[in-house]
Amino acid sequence: MNLQTSALRMGRFMTTVKYILLILGAFIVFFPFLWMLTTSLKTVGESISIPPTLLPEKLQWENFQNAWNMAPFPRYFGNTILIAVVGTLLTVTITIFAAYAFTVFRFRGKSLLFMVYLSTMMIPTELLLIQNYVTVTKLGLIDTYVGIILPTLASGFYTFMLREYFMQVPSSLYKAAKMDGCSNWRYLWKVMVPINRNAIATVTILCFITQWNAFVWPLMVTTSDEHRVLATGLMYFNLSASSAVNLQMAATTIVVAPMVVFYCVFRRQIVSGIARGGIKG
Amino acid sequence: MDMKLTLEHVTKDFSGTLAVNDISLTMQDGKLTGLLGPSGCGKSTLLYMIAGLEQVTSGHIYFDGQDVTTLPAETRGVGLVFQNYALYPHMTVEQNIMFPLLNARVKKESAQKKAREMARFVQIEEYMHRKPAQLSGGQQQRVAIARALVKSPQILLLDEPLSNLDARLRLDLREEIRRIQKETGVTTIFVTHDQEEAMSITDELVLMKNGIIQQIAAPQAMYRYPQSRFVASFLGNPPISFFNMVAENGLVELSPNLKLKFPISLSGPVVLGIRPEGWALGSGIVVEFLSVSVRGREQYVSFMLHGQKAYAILDTENAVKPGDRLSLALKPYCVHLFDPENGLRLGKGDAHYVE
Amino acid sequence: MSSKRQRTLRPHRNGAAAWLYLLPSLVVITVFLIYPLFKVLRMGFYQKYVFITDTGSGFGLDALAYVLSDPVYHRALSNTCFITFVGVPITVALALGIAVMIDSIPRFKGIFQNLYFLPYVTTVYAVGTVFKWLFHSDYGYINFFFKFLGLEPQAWMTDPNLVTLSVTIFTIWNGLALKIILFLAGLQKVDKQYYQAARIDGTSRRRVFFRITLPLLSPTIWMVSMISFIHAFKTYSAVVAMFDKEAAGPGNSAITVVFYIYNMFFKKGQVHYAAAAAIVFLVIIITMTALQKIVAKKFTYYG
Repeated sequence: MNLQTSALRMGRFMTTVKYILLILGAFIVFFPFLWMLTTSLKTVGESISIPPTLLPEKLQWENFQNAWNMAPFPRYFGNTILIAVVGTLLTVTITIFAAYAFTVFRFRGKSLLFMVYLSTMMIPTELLLIQNYVTVTKLGLIDTYVGIILPTLASGFYTFMLREYFMQVPSSLYKAAKMDGCSNWRYLWKVMVPINRNAIATVTILCFITQWNAFVWPLMVTTSDEHRVLATGLMYFNLSASSAVNLQMAATTIVVAPMVVFYCVFRRQIVSGIARGGIKG
Repeated sequence: MDMKLTLEHVTKDFSGTLAVNDISLTMQDGKLTGLLGPSGCGKSTLLYMIAGLEQVTSGHIYFDGQDVTTLPAETRGVGLVFQNYALYPHMTVEQNIMFPLLNARVKKESAQKKAREMARFVQIEEYMHRKPAQLSGGQQQRVAIARALVKSPQILLLDEPLSNLDARLRLDLREEIRRIQKETGVTTIFVTHDQEEAMSITDELVLMKNGIIQQIAAPQAMYRYPQSRFVASFLGNPPISFFNMVAENGLVELSPNLKLKFPISLSGPVVLGIRPEGWALGSGIVVEFLSVSVRGREQYVSFMLHGQKAYAILDTENAVKPGDRLSLALKPYCVHLFDPENGLRLGKGDAHYVE
Repeated sequence: MSSKRQRTLRPHRNGAAAWLYLLPSLVVITVFLIYPLFKVLRMGFYQKYVFITDTGSGFGLDALAYVLSDPVYHRALSNTCFITFVGVPITVALALGIAVMIDSIPRFKGIFQNLYFLPYVTTVYAVGTVFKWLFHSDYGYINFFFKFLGLEPQAWMTDPNLVTLSVTIFTIWNGLALKIILFLAGLQKVDKQYYQAARIDGTSRRRVFFRITLPLLSPTIWMVSMISFIHAFKTYSAVVAMFDKEAAGPGNSAITVVFYIYNMFFKKGQVHYAAAAAIVFLVIIITMTALQKIVAKKFTYYG
């Protein structure tokens, strides 16, 4: 046997090892989801059997119905959609405005202010929530949609990201638009936004995920089911259904499923957005 | 559509550097004026100030007597064509041309109609539904011209519109710009650093250097009677050659057989400028060729004259080679006299032979 | 002429409009990002603070001294450091290994990517609930596997010495997706010509990895590590999901720094202690960020 074929065999062997390791890893990554799904379809007895059984004998679809009825999940869903959609639209709009101001305008203190925007990325929001809770309380916005959405609207990170894209639009287009009698407002909506629609879509998707998955801040400022979102609602559901693992998992599946679907639809944008932007703010 | 454009003491100060230094001039209405100069001479800055994209530091700009100095660009009614076309990449050709009209709240149907007329005028109507990226550079620039003209501007400004095109397209589009300007009769300013381009299509040339106007004249007049050493050297390719000589009462002696009398009575050191096309084989001065480069219809030769290198363009009737010693004659109208101190032209009109 | 020269105009500015576009984000950033930062910094130095009226008095280091000598805070710090400095290196190494393997296999790259990326979009709280049950000492799958492998089952959720390890394991699992995405993106940027050149030179696979892939990927590794360190230092939701927002495990044994801050604020109502703890937290985060900037300049290879 010569060296070449042995190297080839070695390569094939390594590839096989890689596939085995990757499948094993994927199983570990995926197992919690699998367990969540199967447990949500078990009886209480099956869900706490020793040793554990992975698959239920009979699929208990009514777990979902029971879980759905035990807590105001329609309300949580509505709240989450409302907050995520409105929060995302407002964030993206505000961010577009700010990125635009930092792109085509010339004004005193521009670079200093941009530095401020950049440095807000480094402030851990965990630190601010204490005072924001005080502020929101003072404004009388505790347990309101406005109170949940408002503090999350400005993002130094998204502003920075969009500005990077806006800056790539040649300044001669702005000059041309001026010569064409175009106002700043029209230039933004007719030229800047359409040219950067891909970048804006990416920011929108990343922002939507963040808004949908928000947990700590909604947990702090909501005191009633009326304004709870899915994630915090799930926590209160778990407290009330503390022993019924199967129902907890049915509820968890209900909470996790929409984002999984969202992921399947927008996978490409999500992945390229993260890869390009580094990390969400 | 033609309109008189007047600049009065226009100055642009970029934090200490005077890009445009106290320029006053009136552009001929309905004519094509070339703004020529080396890069960084302030010609583009001047153009942008007329457009309203740059604000003037001091001075005034008048359109038909109306002061527009502080008017924002979008309200001046000026059309501008950029070197890099600056077409909106996400819009079709039609949408690009319609954009200025829609900005002015023209109804969509009439905007479409006008855009189509304009596209036909610049011969791009078959590409109406393409995006700029699907067009060649020349076609893109035609779209840009159509976009600048569609709103019937009072002035059309062209900022090095041909610089990004290859040589062949440049020739085509340069003729096209001439035709468009003639047919519309719009007052046009054409900025370029290419003297050949400027000379070939403009009615009048404004030559700038370091923010200051060097000379304003019709192209041929500027070439024939350069007001300064700089103007003489900027126009013409291969360039004019200069020689430090001494004049005696307006007479300069290149050799005993070659004496020139200039229409000025002056004695002392002078700079003599000789255009390369002024030389021809004939009786005058004997020189030894250093190099010969044949270019089809003519041949360029170099030789030493009074201690300085000189160039000549000769016809190809007689083949010459380096090392040949031959006698050259000189056409007096191709010779200019300049002041060695300030570089200004000495004497009006042409020189003539003296026996 | 001189009279005309005096009328100098300022360079072309369109500032007024710019401020209008900036206004919305500026208001939010000022009220909810900048103001609270300074407010919390001030709060931590109050000697007395009344939440209802948002008024404080005095200036001193009492709150800071209290927090720094509080054994619960020590526990929170050591737990957080464990999650950060044990958990993150493991996650980064695993993610790097997985990313390199996915990048090098000839087929099914897309499927593996999709599987490994999925956890990125799921709420920490929801998945944390799942892990709470997987860690259950009686009917959790993890102890089931332990027994299967002949190991002693552990009280993952009730043994005070183990709870932080459980949280760390969860954060490792939870952090993999993002890091794999970032590493794969980094690997795609590595010029494949290097590999071809190495193959022509007859370089061994192991050598290619350590001499080419790793050095070229070092900026990405560094960036991912630092993001992860900072992110891990903020661990809170994972603890709430696996235990409770009122108490982090038996006797608060799984408490983290952020958990401590919120607990001080919401449960105990000691706002200035919470603020003082937050200041310590901020100092640590800033130090880590600064360290990242300094070391990044020295360490990494930029191709």
